[in-house]
Amino acid sequence: MTYPRLVARNLMRHPLRTILTTLSIALSIFLVCAVLTLPSALDAIMERAASNVRIAVHHKAGFTYWLPGAYMHKVRNLPGVIGVNEYSWFGGVYDEPKNMFPNFAVDPETVEQVWPDYHIAPEALARFKRIRNGALVGDDTMRKFGWRIGQNVTLKGTIFPIELTFEIVGTIGGMANPTMFWFSRKYLDEAMESRGGFNRVGMIWLRAASPEQVDGIVAQVDALFRNSEAEVAAETEKAFIGSFMATFQGLLRVILLVGFLVVGAVVLIAANTSAMGIRERIPEIAILKSLGFRRGPILAALLAESSLQGLVGGLLGAGAAYAILEALRVAGKTGFTGVLGPLGGFRMSPGVAAEGVAVALVVGFVAGLVPAWNGARTNVIEALRRLF
Amino acid sequence: MIDVRNVSRLYHRGVDLVHALEHVTLHVPAGRFVALMGPSGSGKSTLLHLVAGLDRPDGGEVVVAGQALSELDEDGLAGWRARHVGLIFQFYNLLPVLTAIENVELPLLLTSLGRGERRERAELALRAVGLAHRAHHRPQQLSGGEQQRVAIARAIVTDPDLLVADEPTGDLDAKSAEDILTLLQELNRAFDKTIVMVTHDPRAERWVDTVVRLDKGVLVDDGGLGRATA
Repeated sequence: MTYPRLVARNLMRHPLRTILTTLSIALSIFLVCAVLTLPSALDAIMERAASNVRIAVHHKAGFTYWLPGAYMHKVRNLPGVIGVNEYSWFGGVYDEPKNMFPNFAVDPETVEQVWPDYHIAPEALARFKRIRNGALVGDDTMRKFGWRIGQNVTLKGTIFPIELTFEIVGTIGGMANPTMFWFSRKYLDEAMESRGGFNRVGMIWLRAASPEQVDGIVAQVDALFRNSEAEVAAETEKAFIGSFMATFQGLLRVILLVGFLVVGAVVLIAANTSAMGIRERIPEIAILKSLGFRRGPILAALLAESSLQGLVGGLLGAGAAYAILEALRVAGKTGFTGVLGPLGGFRMSPGVAAEGVAVALVVGFVAGLVPAWNGARTNVIEALRRLF
Repeated sequence: MIDVRNVSRLYHRGVDLVHALEHVTLHVPAGRFVALMGPSGSGKSTLLHLVAGLDRPDGGEVVVAGQALSELDEDGLAGWRARHVGLIFQFYNLLPVLTAIENVELPLLLTSLGRGERRERAELALRAVGLAHRAHHRPQQLSGGEQQRVAIARAIVTDPDLLVADEPTGDLDAKSAEDILTLLQELNRAFDKTIVMVTHDPRAERWVDTVVRLDKGVLVDDGGLGRATA
């Protein structure tokens, strides 16, 4: 007979109750781990997607405002700039309005200079430059609509009052957004010619020769268009993606809050279960005290029960969260990226797992604290009277 | 062995004050087997609890084996009980989640004995009460008499000076009750244990050395034990 055995025997006194309480802790820790993974997962997505030498230039008033087309030529000759391209939002839909995905007019001639990390096949890029209505499409969009290379697809403009038919000439991969659709800016200009032309660009992308030159180029671009008809804001690609991510911060805070409210609710449930279990055992605690057990060891044994329950729940919950996120990540790598979306990129760090287990341990300890304290203070005579 | 000196104990029952014991004085020499008898509410269980160090008097003093119990705080009393007192209850009060031998071993957790030695002593105590063959049974798998034997083994496993028993035969049939009383008598005679037992059972008089009677909290017959020593 040992103290650990006494704790284990008491825990398994009502196996179903113990298992259900442990599972409720495990479920809450699973949620906490998943929620705690979100911020780091978003950071990881941003780190992975953003180049440290690409610079986004957009209208100072916001992404939806157009910039004069001449700005492209002005930034091309800045020292340290080795590539310039554009993103002009076409806003086209395929077949019906719900089939919306990011489609941009770009300059085919400088794609490989600005986005060498997008792994576009040389032959696809060559066709993209040669075929005036050629389009490069991300894997997810190809998969979603069942498109294939060589197929013609028509997008109906929602910003521009035109319909354009494209020939898919290749795919965009690497670090690119897998839902992207690119086509030639010249094709858009030709289509708009009969409507008075459209000499504007949505955003300008620059590529610096080295990361050290990025800050200087950003400052130069800002200075170049200061007090002009359309002032710009230049920023690194990381900062640009980060500003998009910032829109999720509020949602993230709500999710975190809900996650911790769940933990709070589980603490109350576990505390209630613990209190019920200890209340049932008051006469037994009185027997232990009558045999000579002091308050300290009794309190420690009761707290060990609830803490152990928390620890097991934490290990189960954190383990399940790790296993499921890892399985999603593997599934994401093996072709389910479109189905899983960003979930396929989430990875739980050992730190988050440790935090989850620590939270579970605290949940168990706190849940058991008051009932155990009251139990350990049991008055032997009063408790024994209940027996007779 | 036991000196009860002018002890009183009051209880609050609602707004009423109940005199459970009034100025009781008693001396029990070492090695005696004493029965405390009296009608319900006579104060015999209260006296037993005071002698066992489970409760404290409102007046007077209890001295056991030279130790004035009033000098000990709650933890001190717990330690003293672990070393000097073995308790036997009417409803056995074994922990249902432990086997018989684990229940017997429980008080030894409070000693410095190693795991192996604790197990040996528990086996020895179970053999002493004739239940070695039921060592690995849970309380609910044992009869009432067997459970009380396990409780007695638990009470003697630390080799205490004093055994206190509160109605140890109260929940048993006649045959089992006689067996338990015989066992207690053997422990008293063979191992010179001082035993104080509360009982309603008049047949118990055949097994004990002395019968002390209480009524309404007052000692009405000291069984020839006399007053407490100074």
